[in-house]
Amino acid sequence: MDAEPHGSTRRESLSHHEIRALLKRRVFSFVLDWAVWGYVAYAVVFFLNHYWFTWIPAHWYDTLALPSWGWALTIAATLELTVILRSSGRSLGMRAFGLDLRPSSGERIPVGRRVLRILCWQLSVPLALVGFWARPSRPWHDRLAGATLISTKAESAEDAGGDPAGGPIRGPEKRALATQWGIMSLFLFGLTFWLGWLIVEANLSTLASRASKAGDLFQEIARPDFRYFFTEDPIFVLRRGTYSILDLMVLTLFMTLLSTFLGTVFAFPLSFLGARNLMGKSPIGLVVYTVVRGFFNIFRAIETLLWATIFAVWVGWGSPFAGVLALTIHTVAALGKLFSEQVEGIESGPLEAVRASGGNFLQIIRYAVIPQVMPAYWAFTLYRWDINVRMSTVIALVGAGGIGTLLFYYKNEGEWSVVGAVVIAIVVVVWAMDYLSGWLREKVVR
Amino acid sequence: MAQAEHLVIDRLTKVYERGQVVALKDLSFSVKKGEFLVVIGLSGSGKSTLLRCVNRLIEPTAGSIRLDGVELTRLSVSNMRRVRRGMGMIFQHFNLVKRSTVLTNVLAGRLGYTPTWRSMVGWFSKRDHEMAMANLERVGLVEKAHVRADELSGGQQQRVGIARALMQQPTLLLVDEPVSALDPATSNSIMQYFEQVNREDGVTVLTSLHFLSLARRFGTRILALKDGGMVFDGLPGEIDNAWFKEIYGEDAEEVEVR
Repeated sequence: MDAEPHGSTRRESLSHHEIRALLKRRVFSFVLDWAVWGYVAYAVVFFLNHYWFTWIPAHWYDTLALPSWGWALTIAATLELTVILRSSGRSLGMRAFGLDLRPSSGERIPVGRRVLRILCWQLSVPLALVGFWARPSRPWHDRLAGATLISTKAESAEDAGGDPAGGPIRGPEKRALATQWGIMSLFLFGLTFWLGWLIVEANLSTLASRASKAGDLFQEIARPDFRYFFTEDPIFVLRRGTYSILDLMVLTLFMTLLSTFLGTVFAFPLSFLGARNLMGKSPIGLVVYTVVRGFFNIFRAIETLLWATIFAVWVGWGSPFAGVLALTIHTVAALGKLFSEQVEGIESGPLEAVRASGGNFLQIIRYAVIPQVMPAYWAFTLYRWDINVRMSTVIALVGAGGIGTLLFYYKNEGEWSVVGAVVIAIVVVVWAMDYLSGWLREKVVR
Repeated sequence: MAQAEHLVIDRLTKVYERGQVVALKDLSFSVKKGEFLVVIGLSGSGKSTLLRCVNRLIEPTAGSIRLDGVELTRLSVSNMRRVRRGMGMIFQHFNLVKRSTVLTNVLAGRLGYTPTWRSMVGWFSKRDHEMAMANLERVGLVEKAHVRADELSGGQQQRVGIARALMQQPTLLLVDEPVSALDPATSNSIMQYFEQVNREDGVTVLTSLHFLSLARRFGTRILALKDGGMVFDGLPGEIDNAWFKEIYGEDAEEVEVR
């Protein structure tokens, strides 16, 4: 027997909640459109300056060199452009927030009506802002133009399924480049590339004319000198010891193994405390969740190189222990976040079942969460090991030990052929570890 | 069969904070020991919320729930966990850990009785293991004990769910839409397990069902919910066509499931 309500018709009037959600999206999409035009205005001033004017400082993009009337003009012009384009078609902001302007009756909104909407907007919105918004679901610049701003996406999963009459409203599919938002996206793409090219001072002719200098370097590197591969270089002294390339390579591998292991050990328990679905049930849980997630985000945002700098000062320049600490801290934060997100994606059913049978928090984690996340945890850990291997070769730059110490030492000495040997050693190891971790990952994700 | 009041629900109300949705309003009824009580109603009428309020997987907004005279709504978290041990729950989507073996899933029903440190290392007692095999025997899945749960069919998974609930040695089974995800033939055999547990072990069964035909066949008493309120409380035979329309709406038509 199927007792689903079939007779439910599409609701004509929106609920209070829906109106607010729609209004919010309307405002956000407007802000986005306006910001896009602000960006275009920025580009225009930049191009004017770059190609013609000289009265603005050369690096003007970090100064605000516009007269006050120029600012006023820019703001007004971008605002009007935004309004005009939002009335004449589906703007990028409308597309991004799932909105569209549809005629209240008939197939399309005639041009005259669109112009009317632009004109009405000038009065309607300022009035609305001081509190005369009669019907926020359909302000009167829409009503007079015979148009409605509607949502093109389902509000929730419940709406997305169910009866077709109540589902999301879709217009006829158009090719992206035949729409306003499509053209705008392409335009912004091109504009950004052009602007970026000028800002980073890209220069292809220098790249070509000075190629011979790099060529000399490559020739040296291409004749690698493996003199110090097995035997220690007597001149290179690090913390009262002498090392061969192989010595430091082995040491570097142990650095990565230790830091990946330690990082995982700390990230594992923290990941459950940083998962909203486990912690979001009580106020205390939410506090713990916020703190743990905050820790992950902040410590992850600080790059391994920065941590290495700190620890090199702390435990000594060139000490591999500094490198281990730096890699560990970043591993905890990065893995913790990945793990937590994995926990947040699990099925809630088994959790409910363990809870219903009288299980406590730890038992829920052990019997409902861990079995679900284990393969992903393994995969992430191996992936992180991979990253640590690559990272460990460069942190020596700031004094955190490892194979990179040799690399930068010989670079500074100008012994490019030994540099070549070190580089080859690094490449071989990174490639081998990459292959090994990939192979292991495939084995565990079953 | 003893006729004592096992579960007494009084003016139970659940309001979801967001959007002010009233899922249950002022529901009062009591369940005698050994009853097979079926709750019917449309999707969204509050059946699942009702069942989950009984073991407080969902916190009720107001009202009282008494199990053998103990007020559940005011119990502390740890006391509630102890009470939950005596209430088995069966789920619409089985809620097994798919990557774990059938045996591990069944043993998980014993977690409420197992000290935390022992459960962390997965060290269940010999008695628990014997009990797990006995319950698997009962649902006819002994030979699947060491198979991963996701290798089983839907009906088999639900039988594992039953074995897991029986591990708790419950006095009350809360059964939430047990056969909605199953085909009609399997549905009937699954329902027969509940009937057996109810008759032979004297376990009180409180189940929600989608199909009225199944409710009529297995229930000793039927409750009907509509928009969170009770519209019918009586014997299966009393639901005639007029009641049916009242519960499911004018447009609904009854479909037989055999």
